[in-house]
Amino acid sequence: MRLLVTGSSIRGLPVVTIGGGEDVAEVRDVIYSPEAGRVVGLTLNKRGFLAGRCREVLPAEMIHAIGRDAVMIDDEDSLILPEDAPADVGTPPSGRDVTGDEVLTEGGTSLGHVRDVVVLVGTAGQVVGYEIDTAAGRTGYIPLSTQLAVSGSALIVPEATADFVRDDLVGLGAAVDEFRARLRIR
Amino acid sequence: MSDRFEAASGRRIVSRTSAEELGNLEHLVVDAKGLRVTALVVGKGRRALVVDWEHVSGFGPDAVMVADESALHPPRDDRERAAAGGKLELVGQRVLSDVGNDLGPITDVVFDPTSGVIEAFMIDDREVDAAALLGIGSFAVIVRASAE
Repeated sequence: MRLLVTGSSIRGLPVVTIGGGEDVAEVRDVIYSPEAGRVVGLTLNKRGFLAGRCREVLPAEMIHAIGRDAVMIDDEDSLILPEDAPADVGTPPSGRDVTGDEVLTEGGTSLGHVRDVVVLVGTAGQVVGYEIDTAAGRTGYIPLSTQLAVSGSALIVPEATADFVRDDLVGLGAAVDEFRARLRIR
Repeated sequence: MSDRFEAASGRRIVSRTSAEELGNLEHLVVDAKGLRVTALVVGKGRRALVVDWEHVSGFGPDAVMVADESALHPPRDDRERAAAGGKLELVGQRVLSDVGNDLGPITDVVFDPTSGVIEAFMIDDREVDAAALLGIGSFAVIVRASAE
């Protein structure tokens, strides 16, 4: 079964080394690239009593897996200084936050506004959909297609997306494959 | 014949020379890389002493035999002090898979009392083969996702 989590539930997860079993940091925030459709990295907080921002960042390439209970990395060398990280992680361009963006279908129907990204658990940060506030004022989940136009204020999604708005993450998990299959046929 | 940490806990340590009881087994110290028992902790708190595995002459079902009292020594370094304080105890330690899922705490450890080699971990009724182990640390024990 696909296990999906929202970006906000990744915040606060411990970052743990596989070989050492040590919690070297915790997730402060998710750096998301709407163009790439994936998490490109994580910003970090220190663990324990020394809580506070950690200068190092964790690029997605260094993430072994984002799990339900922890983010796993090989060792502490995976945490790197922003100046040594890929540009989209070290100095993410401003105005790239999709939160609050309107979701518009190609046909011009507004599905709502983006509240959060939905990440596939067990991957290095594959984003499979968005959590949205629907036009009707409810929480909805939509699958993400690979071909997607993004501006500073709106996302354009295929018309078929309107048929795949789901009420919960379990529903979205089932919708993702079906949605992608439909797009491939056309 | 395998032995288990929970069953061995509290077992008496006996001197082969004097036949006297020197204390009770409190913790077994495991080397993460070698996957074997490297030392025993005898007694609690400030008076806890360490026995190197090489100085155990017989790890039996009823008693752990050592040559004599000189096999017991106070903790010599940070790692031994941590072990004496029970901070390296595997039973009760959190288990994470390498994809980041919490599998629950270790409830027991199965080992070979002759060689000290760790054979498996118990998470409740589930046995996880020691070959699935990737790391042992102060935060968690890490196992391959295939052990989930």
